[in-house]
Amino acid sequence: MENNPYRPIKAKIENVITETGNIKTFVLKPEEEIEFEAGQFMQVTVPGMGESPFTPSSDPKNKGSIEFTVMRAGAVTSKLHSMKPGEYIGLRGPFGKPYPISTFHGKDIYIVGGGVGLAPLRALLFALFHELDHLNKIEVRFGSRSPKDISYRDAIPEWGKKPKMKINITVDIGDPSWKGNVGLVTTILNDGDVNVKNAVAIVCGPPIMMKFVNKRLLDMGFAGSDIYLSMEKNMSCGIGKCFHCNLGHYLCCKDGPVFTWDQIKDIPEPW
Amino acid sequence: MADRDRLITKENLEQLVRSLLAESRVIAPVRSFDGLALEEINGSSIGKIELSGYRTVESFKSWLFKPVEIVSDYFGPEVGSKAPKLVFFGVRGCDAEAIETLDNVYLEGPTREAFYEQNRKQITIITADCTDCGKTCFCNMVGSKPYALKIFDLNLSPVKDGYAVEIGSDRGREIVERNSSLFAETTPEVEREKVVSRQRMVNRLAENNAAFKLKLDLTEILRRNLENKFWKVLTKDCVECSSCNFICPTCSCFVLLDSPAAEGGRRDKAWDACLKAGYTRVAGGANPRGKLFERLQNRYQCKFDYSHARQGRYTCVGCGRCIDGCAGNIDMRKILVELERQVPLTAKLK
Repeated sequence: MENNPYRPIKAKIENVITETGNIKTFVLKPEEEIEFEAGQFMQVTVPGMGESPFTPSSDPKNKGSIEFTVMRAGAVTSKLHSMKPGEYIGLRGPFGKPYPISTFHGKDIYIVGGGVGLAPLRALLFALFHELDHLNKIEVRFGSRSPKDISYRDAIPEWGKKPKMKINITVDIGDPSWKGNVGLVTTILNDGDVNVKNAVAIVCGPPIMMKFVNKRLLDMGFAGSDIYLSMEKNMSCGIGKCFHCNLGHYLCCKDGPVFTWDQIKDIPEPW
Repeated sequence: MADRDRLITKENLEQLVRSLLAESRVIAPVRSFDGLALEEINGSSIGKIELSGYRTVESFKSWLFKPVEIVSDYFGPEVGSKAPKLVFFGVRGCDAEAIETLDNVYLEGPTREAFYEQNRKQITIITADCTDCGKTCFCNMVGSKPYALKIFDLNLSPVKDGYAVEIGSDRGREIVERNSSLFAETTPEVEREKVVSRQRMVNRLAENNAAFKLKLDLTEILRRNLENKFWKVLTKDCVECSSCNFICPTCSCFVLLDSPAAEGGRRDKAWDACLKAGYTRVAGGANPRGKLFERLQNRYQCKFDYSHARQGRYTCVGCGRCIDGCAGNIDMRKILVELERQVPLTAKLK
């Protein structure tokens, strides 16, 4: 079949990095070059088990390798977590629309993440680092269940040292080593963090977290058209044909996965 | 200028089918124990083709979009055999509309669905006007007709001396030209007869659904009932069997299923049903439409509301198969009437 949209590209697992107790980063070397932009997602095939949608977590400008940071949640991800360097998986995509980064120029960027939602945001951060000259500043607010559930622990302090960057992390439950904030991510979203009249907010995390963060952002004065939400449903085909990921009349795989609040605010319980 | 209709006698129509069989497989309605069923016709069964009546029990969907088909064996050689040439013969207006909605889903947008496209290219559509109306037929309520207006290559309208044949495409014109000896010119009388018969069927449909009169546009009815608790009441009759999904000629959802195989695995594409609890479930067990009433409501939204945003039309063609197939006796027409009755009680359209 020509133009077969369901055939995966073979990709070798080069390295597996254990991030937390249930999150690993897989460094892959695909047999064909894959180009993606931050915000787009791919279907990851675990041979014989099935596919799951993930947004790459590596720098979109990286050539030759691509990374996915994956939480163990179901059958496919459990099998993936048992795989070792040298083994092969498959990739389809990229699918969906990227963040419109060029429209962020001259603005404050407010990035709010929760849990494994930091994975796609890492790809976005890498993309934004290439554009720092054109941005006012980047403020990252990130919530994790506990200090040991934080991914990219070595890299985060380095990101914080970049110009125009500020990162604040909170945990739901602290431990004796934790010196930072304890509480939900909404407790570290403060009026005045960014100039809401000239800022975009980018949110990625579990549905319940997105719901409350979105509410807080609106209370802070963000316009619905400036809030970008990652609405990841159970995308299957990736090309807008199977309808599994419908969100009202939208299909997350084709029209999203990133939507502004204005786009989805009339859909009852979009989360 | 549009082609003028031609006239073909019943005997010559059999000859035409014989001629089509020389280069294509032909799928047509035949009389079955509970109505008309689709069957692949061969030289000895041409006489069984039944063009009177209304739509068949099942639609042509499964010949276009297979219930299960292998779409990839991962990294091995490409899969997919050449699609056979098929003639869909005696397609009713509702089912022609249904094919149009499938075309919109699979062939429009940034990516074309290669497997559907391959099948679709090989299909010739010969439609036939309805001469009867089933109890559950309601094409008149969703803007469809008991005869085809587009999509067809040839359309057959029964008249006293056989059939008035309308040419709908280049492919249809070629068929007529290749078999020109089988066709005669129509007369103004034949053309009048076609118009009168069609109007008679339109009136029949209106009578059939006289109990289900609606004033509002269906999209508006659905949008004004987004938050209505009525959906929960309705769900009491739904047993989640999904026969409405599978028998629907426009339901186009599918799922990709992977299983172990020689090259590491194979991937099949199979019909899926939005009424099933697993349809939207994600890894870890969370489910955005975990409740049955949410899924049932979504199905109606899909047909009458979302479809309008996606395709600019309803994706219900009023064939009534979902009513015939429902194990809980849910009648879509009654639901729509009840929803409209409830409109003043519910939130205003945003």
